[in-house]
Amino acid sequence: MNWLFPLYLAGAAAIIAPILLHLRRRPPQDCVEFSSLLFLDAQTPVPVSKRRLENWLLLLLRCLALILLALMFSRPFVQSESAAAASPNHATLILLDCSASMRRGDLWKQAVAEAESQLKAAKLTDRIALAVFDRELTTVWSFEEDRNTPANRLTAAQSRLAELTPTWNATQLDRALIAAVPSFDSSTTTLKKRIHLISDLQEGTKLDALRTIAWPAELTLKVHRIDPATNDNFSIALAAREQDGGADTLVRLRLSNTRDSALRDFSLAWQDAPKSDAITAQIPPGASRILTAPPNPTNATTLNLSGDTFDFDNSIFIAPPQPRTVRIHFLGKDVTRDEASSPLYYLARAFQPTDTLAPVLTADEKLSAQVPDVLFIVGDAPSAGLRDYVERGGFLVTVPSDATLLKAVTGLDLTVAADTDDEYRMLADVKTEHPLLKPFADPKLRDFTKLRFWKHRHIQGKGDSVPLETLAKFDNGHPAILSARIGKGTLIVLASGWHPGDSQFALSTKFVPLLYGWLAAAGFSHDPAATLLVGDTLPLDATQSHTITDPDNKPHSLKPGETFTATQIGLHKVQSPAHTQIVAVNLPPDEGRSLPLEPQKLAEYGIKLAGAAEAIATSETTDQRLTATDTEQRQNLWWWFLVTLLAVLLLETALAGRARQSSAQPA
Amino acid sequence: MRIKSLELRAKVVVEGLWKGMHRSPYHGFSVEFSEYRAYVQGDDPRYIDWKVLARSDRTYIKKFEDETNLRCQLVIDHSKSMKYGSQGYTKADYAATLAATLASFLMKQGDAAGLTTFADGIEEYLPPRNRPGHLRRIITELERPAKAAGTSLDLSVGQLADLLRKRGMICLITDLLAPVEHLEKQLALLGAMGHDLVLFHLMDRAEIDFTFEKSAHFRDAETGTERFIDPQVARETYLKRLQVHRDTIQAATDRHNVEYHFCPTDQPLEEVLFDFLSARQRKKASKRLAA
Repeated sequence: MNWLFPLYLAGAAAIIAPILLHLRRRPPQDCVEFSSLLFLDAQTPVPVSKRRLENWLLLLLRCLALILLALMFSRPFVQSESAAAASPNHATLILLDCSASMRRGDLWKQAVAEAESQLKAAKLTDRIALAVFDRELTTVWSFEEDRNTPANRLTAAQSRLAELTPTWNATQLDRALIAAVPSFDSSTTTLKKRIHLISDLQEGTKLDALRTIAWPAELTLKVHRIDPATNDNFSIALAAREQDGGADTLVRLRLSNTRDSALRDFSLAWQDAPKSDAITAQIPPGASRILTAPPNPTNATTLNLSGDTFDFDNSIFIAPPQPRTVRIHFLGKDVTRDEASSPLYYLARAFQPTDTLAPVLTADEKLSAQVPDVLFIVGDAPSAGLRDYVERGGFLVTVPSDATLLKAVTGLDLTVAADTDDEYRMLADVKTEHPLLKPFADPKLRDFTKLRFWKHRHIQGKGDSVPLETLAKFDNGHPAILSARIGKGTLIVLASGWHPGDSQFALSTKFVPLLYGWLAAAGFSHDPAATLLVGDTLPLDATQSHTITDPDNKPHSLKPGETFTATQIGLHKVQSPAHTQIVAVNLPPDEGRSLPLEPQKLAEYGIKLAGAAEAIATSETTDQRLTATDTEQRQNLWWWFLVTLLAVLLLETALAGRARQSSAQPA
Repeated sequence: MRIKSLELRAKVVVEGLWKGMHRSPYHGFSVEFSEYRAYVQGDDPRYIDWKVLARSDRTYIKKFEDETNLRCQLVIDHSKSMKYGSQGYTKADYAATLAATLASFLMKQGDAAGLTTFADGIEEYLPPRNRPGHLRRIITELERPAKAAGTSLDLSVGQLADLLRKRGMICLITDLLAPVEHLEKQLALLGAMGHDLVLFHLMDRAEIDFTFEKSAHFRDAETGTERFIDPQVARETYLKRLQVHRDTIQAATDRHNVEYHFCPTDQPLEEVLFDFLSARQRKKASKRLAA
């Protein structure tokens, strides 16, 4: 049995009072009603001499009540027999924040010094481990190493710490803490477990995942918050990129100032741009503004913000426009681009250069020497080499006039017959979920009622079956769009052309999106690259090998299927055999929210916090005290003492009442 | 005393008793033969025993006892001292039950019963009657709580003597916790008036044995006087004085031919009544012998 407030036990000495009262010599106070005093003479009242204790049961109950009261106030608890609670040694995990926000001022230096002081404070019998975290937890010195060579811990950990620098990653404290819990291995079972968190605890840190776990009761967290000299900080992040009608691209930025900041004036300019092109303005403390980047006549890739104390979050990298060349070849007899009746006329107008794509459209009656990325064939064309083209990964779109070409490419026995019906046809049963018809997934493009086809072919295999995949049908049930995967390539067969001679397709709103959808399917996506942040995986073609040159000009060779996670801010050069691309990687915006959180915030997530404000020297006693308080609160033994006390008092009252009654009655 | 209703209590006791043990002091002409006496001129010739005349040639007249016209006055002490009781019931309760039992018993066999309560004087007086509902009145009166007053036996008995003009039986039920110097005079007066006196002297067991142990302030129930008493010391004197008191009463009752019954309240009522009836029968027998 242990006591939370053992001093209250001294209160049990109060039992002397009832003992003395029971022994006290006092004149009798009892008054007895009697029928007549006719035969009784008055006597002089003398103090009652109590040479021995009377009503010993009553006295016992009264003493017991006082003792129970003292016991109740001293808050007893039974210390569990677990060795962990009894052990004077600790298993301590030092968690050191190495996220980008630790690049501010000398925070990293302070944090390392704090970690070293914790290492020095540990006894040899303690187990200590060291890990750093940003978005992941990385062990620097493990419990196992510490168990094997506890004497070397300081030297080894110091040398490893010296090699570490803050990264550019965001802070995900929740993931780090969740990962830290299982790092206490079996060698620490008998020790008191605690985590020393050394961090700037900036408000941009992620904590939400902590709600998904139950924090172990035996594990306490002590927060050593490292605060910078000042919290004044501007941060900048990309808001969105907007097409302004023409080829000019507007870069929109979100600027933020910390709350209670003493700074307001900032300057925003492209790197190496003349001062006259910079934006100089004010942003009040705690405010956030959306700005358009200043003009960029030099095509710079870095936008710099200045005016605050810390510059780790003051740069934005923007990749330069890199339109990708797509070779498109039109094979057919009618290769004029100027007549509206020609299918090429519409292709030439649909494939216009954009920021991401630079289509090069060629047209001829035969296949060019340079293999195109996408091949369009309308009508008859020499079929030689087409199957090889498709099998090697080509993308062929054809509007056949007879079955010769189809038979050559697919190797199937297909027939193509012109539909003689004078009625126009419309599309039906469009598989909008198919990747090749992905643009039609947009509800805006799903209305096919105004799209009419007045000349189309009936493509079928032997019998009525069609061995190709039907993506859309006409309303008479004949296939309208067919597709097939042949080797690495794709074949798309249209039963009707897009030019006005066949249909209204080229004039409909669906034509251009569908063409660009096919380009995307051919590996030429029109979508601009999403803004990448540190920690994101670069979008790579899994079928090709790549060489990535990071901002420090360090090359990384990747085999097909390997991935690359950005760890630095800046421009990354991604080279593949077919293509070279510049990718900009920026700092996660949350990392710029640098105001420190209160450590108590962690307690809201169920984490058992040790007193953060207390000195390290007293932390051990505090831990014990906290454990004792916790145990006592869990056991609540004082309730039982209270219940017993009430029972004793009840019994005492009943007995005392009875004794008083009996004293007034003859024996 | 476990039965709450006084009437029911009285009835229960009466049912267990032998009926008709006492006789009226008046001789009349009834069914029960009393004695023969020689015919004198003027006697009603209807009562001459003709069979005796035929056998012995002497004229005798048959005398019969009248069993119906006994007038019994129950006199109950209603002083505050009667409220004392250590048995779970008081002497007043005991007295009321005793009186109700006697009244019920008497009226059941056709006698008239009355009730007088007194403390420092007569409080209530119900003349002896044998009418339907009279027993109810007696019981109602007995159930009325006693007045807070002391005992004045002399005054009360004196007043009673003035009230009772006709001879009868007087049952005095009291704890006699009052000076008894003049009691003898009053008893003699009642006896001289031809009343048949029965005295039930009620005492609680605690009064008889004085079994208190703890020293305490004892308060007199009648006067309210408080005295500090150490029972260990006072017991001997108390018992002696009580004995003298009882002896005095006994002597006075003996002298004046008063039937005296000492009744500790822990004694069952049936026993008290049985003793009373037995004594009555003995008294009757002795009277006959004397006659």
